[in-house]
Amino acid sequence: MKHTYVLLLIGMVVIGAFLAGCTQQASTAPAQNLKIGVVASLTGPSSTTGKDVWQSAQLAAEEINAKGGVYVKDLGKSVPIVLVQGDDESTREGGQKAVSRMITQDNVDMLVGGFSSAVVSAHQSIVAEHNVPYIITGASTPVITRRTDVNTSYMFHHAPTTDDSGSQTTLFIDNVIRPAINAKFGYPQDRPLKLAILYQDSPYGKGHLDAVKNTIANNSLKINLVSQETFKMGESDFRTALTSIKSSDPDVVYVAAFLNEQIPIETQAMRDVDLKKIFIAIEPNDDPDFYKGVGKYGDYSVIQSRFSPYTVPKGPTEAAYNKFVTDFDKKFGGFPGMMGVATYEGVYIGAKAVENAGTLNKTAVKTAIANLQMPQIVEAMQGQTISFSKDFRESKFDLTMEQLVWDPSVNETRPKIVSPANLKERDFMLPDWYVPGKA
Amino acid sequence: MIEKNRVVLYLTVATLAFAVLFPLVTGLNMYYLTVLILIVIFIIFASAWNFLTYSGQGSLGHAAFFGIGGYISTLIAVKSGLTPYLTIFIGGAGAALVGLFIGAICVRMKEWFLAMVTFGFAVIIQVLVASQFVSVTGGWDGVAAPPLISNTVPNYLVYEYYSILLIAVVVILLFRTILNSKIGLAFSAIRENELEARASGIDPVRYKLFAFMVSAYFSGLAGALEISYLGYVTPEIFGVDISFWPIIYSISGGLGTLAGPIIGTIVITLLWDGLQSLGLTYGRFIIIGIILVLVVIFLPRGLVSLPEVIKKRAPVWKARFNKLLSK
Amino acid sequence: MEIGLDIFLQVMVWGLYAGCIYILLATGLNLIFGVMKVVNFAHGQLLMIGAYVTFSFFVLTGFNPYVLLAASIPILIVIGVCIERLCFRPILGTGKLNEIFISIGLIYILENVAAMIWTDEWKTIRSPFEEITVTIGGMKIPVDYLIIIVTTVLILVGLYIFLKKTRLGLAVRATSQNRKAAMLVGINVERMDMLSFGIGAGLAGAAGTLWVVSGQVFNPYMGSVPAVKAFAIVIIGGLGSIPGAIIGGLILGIAENFTVLTIGGAWKDAVAFLILILVLIIKPNGLFGEKAE
Repeated sequence: MKHTYVLLLIGMVVIGAFLAGCTQQASTAPAQNLKIGVVASLTGPSSTTGKDVWQSAQLAAEEINAKGGVYVKDLGKSVPIVLVQGDDESTREGGQKAVSRMITQDNVDMLVGGFSSAVVSAHQSIVAEHNVPYIITGASTPVITRRTDVNTSYMFHHAPTTDDSGSQTTLFIDNVIRPAINAKFGYPQDRPLKLAILYQDSPYGKGHLDAVKNTIANNSLKINLVSQETFKMGESDFRTALTSIKSSDPDVVYVAAFLNEQIPIETQAMRDVDLKKIFIAIEPNDDPDFYKGVGKYGDYSVIQSRFSPYTVPKGPTEAAYNKFVTDFDKKFGGFPGMMGVATYEGVYIGAKAVENAGTLNKTAVKTAIANLQMPQIVEAMQGQTISFSKDFRESKFDLTMEQLVWDPSVNETRPKIVSPANLKERDFMLPDWYVPGKA
Repeated sequence: MIEKNRVVLYLTVATLAFAVLFPLVTGLNMYYLTVLILIVIFIIFASAWNFLTYSGQGSLGHAAFFGIGGYISTLIAVKSGLTPYLTIFIGGAGAALVGLFIGAICVRMKEWFLAMVTFGFAVIIQVLVASQFVSVTGGWDGVAAPPLISNTVPNYLVYEYYSILLIAVVVILLFRTILNSKIGLAFSAIRENELEARASGIDPVRYKLFAFMVSAYFSGLAGALEISYLGYVTPEIFGVDISFWPIIYSISGGLGTLAGPIIGTIVITLLWDGLQSLGLTYGRFIIIGIILVLVVIFLPRGLVSLPEVIKKRAPVWKARFNKLLSK
Repeated sequence: MEIGLDIFLQVMVWGLYAGCIYILLATGLNLIFGVMKVVNFAHGQLLMIGAYVTFSFFVLTGFNPYVLLAASIPILIVIGVCIERLCFRPILGTGKLNEIFISIGLIYILENVAAMIWTDEWKTIRSPFEEITVTIGGMKIPVDYLIIIVTTVLILVGLYIFLKKTRLGLAVRATSQNRKAAMLVGINVERMDMLSFGIGAGLAGAAGTLWVVSGQVFNPYMGSVPAVKAFAIVIIGGLGSIPGAIIGGLILGIAENFTVLTIGGAWKDAVAFLILILVLIIKPNGLFGEKAE
């Protein structure tokens, strides 16, 4: 009896030590490489995105290493990038474990990634405490670099926030869609546009709702919010919410949803509820699966984009875009999502900052990121430069608006850029079947 | 019997010694401390869940209490500036109050009804926190939580760990005292047969409510500890996975034993992290699922009963083995 | 907000449609409960498997997805029987919470096996009839919803005939009413267990097909929410009562959609439990429940 318990205990200790040992990498040799920890949700509900994030980071690291690595002046030589995988399991606890492991066991020089806002906010305090530069390329809420209870000065937000994305979309509605409707249907120029918003009940959806409202108020836009409907994350039946929106008689429906919600929303609106309006999808939805899923129901709908699978903004980013997409497809198969491309850029940003700093010292690297002025890579940035704002350390993206056009040759719709003016491929058009809200 | 008690004592002392000495041996290692702190917090949570089963009740929605504890403790600490060392207990009290309310509704329900109603309360409370009381709770943006000990204090994580460990030890000793008292006897009477218990003068309603309240209190305390450790609380804390983990830990360790949730939490957490370091993603969930099914079928009293079962079966296996050899 | 008659009727239709899925799930759960007195919390994962089976056959064969009911129902019956034999039979008559624990294990197993086979990306297919709409009372309704409602009614009628008019159905009902007495008159109750579990799983498979046909998206984790609601319906209607399940399903389907219309989508999932709690406070055994114990 006694022996079995003692044995059990010893067994447990041995197993524990073994497991702990498994995760401990031999990393005593100091600074012969640039270690970047990649925070990605490789398991759990966000794992599809997580895989994109991890693979894109790998691609960037390999490219940089193939060119000889990152030159560090202090060491007088170039060092390769070594990536460390940190699976946050899409949970707060998992993120906490992964990040603390990367910081203390793997001694990473910086962190890149971070998807869900809830998960990121739960591990921010340890990052802050250890002063590890963290380039956040996933979470969309502006709150993460605006918290005041922890020191966020080491955290940089390289993803459009809900504020940026929401305000750019709202301005597009006011600048482009509103005049188009008023012109086509002979309404007076100052007729306010009737906007309905359907948003996910989450930080992401709520952030968009607030951004839309604030943009309208701050710019005194002629847009009336006629309906606000919400839905639970992961919902698949939107028919009643859409019926309610229909009864509010809007001109345009702004949808803040994920891909798996955006597809049924547009399908059910057109097919079941007969809500024939212009639908607007926001930036994370521009993915091959969206075009496949929404089919012909997406025709004439608008999608915001920073990285589209089917259209490349003409200009300086075109070559980098094509190279990245082709290389990714060759290596992993498929299309890297926008979280993927941002992480790919995140690794380049990190490498550049280390080169600028000339050292792996974290404070110096952080200062280098804060002062970074780097040409845009794949995604179009404002001023064609990647730099982080002084106040909340956010990089500013140049988001494009695309309209979907039916392409019989692929039996799906394809996007055409309709805004901004310097990149546009054609004008925004109202379909023949379109009926605006009553004046 | 005496022999067994002594073994349990040894085992307890050994585990505790391990828990106390480990950080001293490994030095200040944040990763190990993170894993240990989360294990200890979930030991409190799983033990609190398990405590409820002593009274013949169960819950599929303990995330409600875990989350309420976290929110109330955080909000009070933020608004009043009190140290989280105090507010975690207030958080627990808030959870207990809600527990009393839910318990009062559930007290006459059994099994599946109870399971569903508790599950439902977790869903309802999440909606209330995320969408209804936004001005207080911060809605989906959540609230930043003050840490137990400021991180300007050197080695603060070690102190935090020992504080949480101390709380866990006290909680489990308290559970032990309660269960060894008259109340524990009343619980088992109710669990075995409520009508008979009533006949012998035990008021099941009172005891069941008490169990619900105590369980909710310590679940809330665990939630408050986790949140002040993680530093941020969002409505995701009311998720189904938070309700399921204490159940998984308790069942695999052994329902209705004090050691069960402790052993279950340690073994499953280490297994979970170990499987992850092997690169299993979906496989990890499948293995946990299979373990759960196997434990319920073949080891209904959990891993704690494993030595006994082995001891009982060993002669049989030996005989079979010998027979095989002699063939 | 003012609700016009047209909106009211439209939302009723969405409620009816949602109710159909719930009814199929809840009826299956109730049949299993009646015979075995156990609850399979992993029932929604069977719906999910049904959806994927339909999807796979649709992609492979291109058949009309409604015809694929003939694939999803039998396959799910087989899976159901396996689950009954491997997981639920060993724990029959042990602690009452054990089936909940087993179900949690099953949920993890089924979801992640599905994720390994089909990946966890969201999938969707299109019904061949998606263009066709029928106008009833000034309302344009896609014909798919009418087919779904009619199919559900047919399945329920079939089940009714089976239970009331066949010898096997009689045996199932007898076992459901009194297991010991059924055993005494020579009914093989273990076979009845398998049968009821199989039929229950088959109904979940049918629900999965109907889910897919209506163009709803699905992924491996989509089953939990409908299952939990189906179980809430079972309790609202009363454990063991199939008419209760049908009425409960309709009530929930309609109530949910009116909640979205009036209070807002954030409350959609919570309303099932609010109704559940209210019903249980007023009628502790559900609307049509047998007296417990």
